[in-house]
Amino acid sequence: MEKNLPEKKKFNFKLTDTIILLIALIALVVFFGFMNKDFFKYDNISSMLKNMVITGILALGLTPLMIARGLDISFGASISFTGVLMAVLYARGTPLVPTMIIGIIAATLIGLLNGFLIETFDLLPIILTLGTMSIFTAIAYVMSGAHSLPMLTDQLYYFATKSFLKVPLPLFLLILFTIVFWFILTYTKIGRVIYIIGANPKVANLSGIKVKNVRIYLYTFMGVVAGVASIVMVAITGVGNPLAGARMSLPVLSAVVLGGISLAGGAGSVWGTTVGVLIVTVIFNGLSVLNVPSYYIQMFQGVALILIVSLYEIRNTRAARR
Amino acid sequence: MIEEKSIKDNKSFWQKINIFKVNSISPSLIIVVIVMYAVFGGINQDFFSFQNFKGIIASLSVTGIMSVGLAFVVLTGNFDVSIGSILGISAVIMGKLFNVAGGNIPIPVIIIIGLLVGAAVGALNGFLVTVVGINSVITTLGTLAVFRGLSFLYANEPSLIKNKAYVALGRGFIAKTIPYTIIYMLVIFVAGYLILRYTKFGRDIYQVGANPSAARLAGISTRKMQFWAFVIAGVTSAMAAVIMTSQAAFAQGEFGLGFEFTILTIVILGGISLAGGRGTLVGVVIALIIINSISNGLTMMSVPVNWREAFNGIILIAAILIDSVRVKRRELLKA
Repeated sequence: MEKNLPEKKKFNFKLTDTIILLIALIALVVFFGFMNKDFFKYDNISSMLKNMVITGILALGLTPLMIARGLDISFGASISFTGVLMAVLYARGTPLVPTMIIGIIAATLIGLLNGFLIETFDLLPIILTLGTMSIFTAIAYVMSGAHSLPMLTDQLYYFATKSFLKVPLPLFLLILFTIVFWFILTYTKIGRVIYIIGANPKVANLSGIKVKNVRIYLYTFMGVVAGVASIVMVAITGVGNPLAGARMSLPVLSAVVLGGISLAGGAGSVWGTTVGVLIVTVIFNGLSVLNVPSYYIQMFQGVALILIVSLYEIRNTRAARR
Repeated sequence: MIEEKSIKDNKSFWQKINIFKVNSISPSLIIVVIVMYAVFGGINQDFFSFQNFKGIIASLSVTGIMSVGLAFVVLTGNFDVSIGSILGISAVIMGKLFNVAGGNIPIPVIIIIGLLVGAAVGALNGFLVTVVGINSVITTLGTLAVFRGLSFLYANEPSLIKNKAYVALGRGFIAKTIPYTIIYMLVIFVAGYLILRYTKFGRDIYQVGANPSAARLAGISTRKMQFWAFVIAGVTSAMAAVIMTSQAAFAQGEFGLGFEFTILTIVILGGISLAGGRGTLVGVVIALIIINSISNGLTMMSVPVNWREAFNGIILIAAILIDSVRVKRRELLKA
């Protein structure tokens, strides 16, 4: 009884929220479809879905971290760095599988470094990860000489271009990630622990949860996720690009926040994030199909982020007044 | 008031003129400067050359003026990562104004418009943070993207500034040795220092950052103070835009790109606590000198630009580690 009641309430609340987002999503799809006939073409949809995989994986990784009141904005740099590292290793004759493993380990270590420093010294996550972001972006630039390094392999090419039942293969990876994250957050003890930490870290600490350790795990896991995203990026683009991750932070943060995760922690769900990712992908892909210049898209990302958060904040203050 | 005065009177002469407060970070920063100069000077004799110092000094003012503005924001317990974009948009608008109406718009009018643009963007940030209630990092991350996009859009190619009087503002020297720009910077720093230390406004800024709920109980409008801090950051960024455009004699959408990072590093290294309400501009000046000399010294040692950026990241992390240790020590002393 005790376990079921609050869970159910939360679920209902999130459901209404997600439904509003879903309606917005359908409206957007219809709008872009009307504006440009190409929007519904198979090529566009499949490229849109492939782009979504990277945003989606990263947003999923951020979800538990931000629920537990952490934040990581260095994932972009981590993607660039790992991509360049793998391309360099592969060019020197390392076989594919060890290259990928080393890439994931490198990204994991970046996550561990973030988590360790933040939790040991009580640092503000956004500032610390801003620092690691600049360090690893710089290293990626130095290692690559500011060029895109080619990394074409049959296996990755196959993964990026082929599809099963008309569904692009990378999408299966995203679906797998979504199910795993959903299962962990909803049905496991660690998922509940994450929500408890987010709701009130002090109480969580008093009730015997090792808040710091859990968060360090989450930062490390975010590193793993960034490593996987980097492999997908290399597979889709065929290069290790020091710029690859630079433009990831705004779409990913927008998607996560749109999905209902507040910076104050404690709230959010995998489904919300998934819908947020879908909306962000549709908006930005829709804009580029309409041939909107990239400067406008960048501006639009900023406006979208501010609008989304404003709406949530206004609603929250209203709810608080009631 | 009376009590405060009597405490002041008890201070010795040295304490009165001592701008380094007890427990200040400044003395340790000065030691860092000395060690650093010894190292750079030892590696490369040219580091101590007059020409090089002139270069360091001329490059100080843009980042210096912006760090004063950011210090106000951080003191109230917020962040502003949009300052680089504010510089960009106001530089681009001023550059365009020099090229319309036959270039006949008077310089003061253009400068005032530029500063107003900065103030307006600052006010927008302040509005979103204090009235709508969005987290300041997210707000300014959004406005960063918006105004960077706008300035790129508005200035695909650089707009040249041919007005000689304006260019002299940034490139002139007093007696061929002291750049005008360093004078502007010193004026801003002194003004900022005096405002923060000796006016009610400045004290309220500290109060809001140190303990918002106590400030509210004391009758200070926390929202108002935070709002004005953002406006000040906007105006100082626009001032930096004036200096940058007059030094470069053109304006471009890229101006100020990534500055927020360097300036955040300077402000935090200078001892302005991320927790808000702690630190003085004296520390910020020394941190400014440290950061600029490092970048200068690394250039002279022909370290590639990308490594210098990595170095900046390491300094930022070191600065927040020091800040965190200082905060913890204070808590221990209190307990």
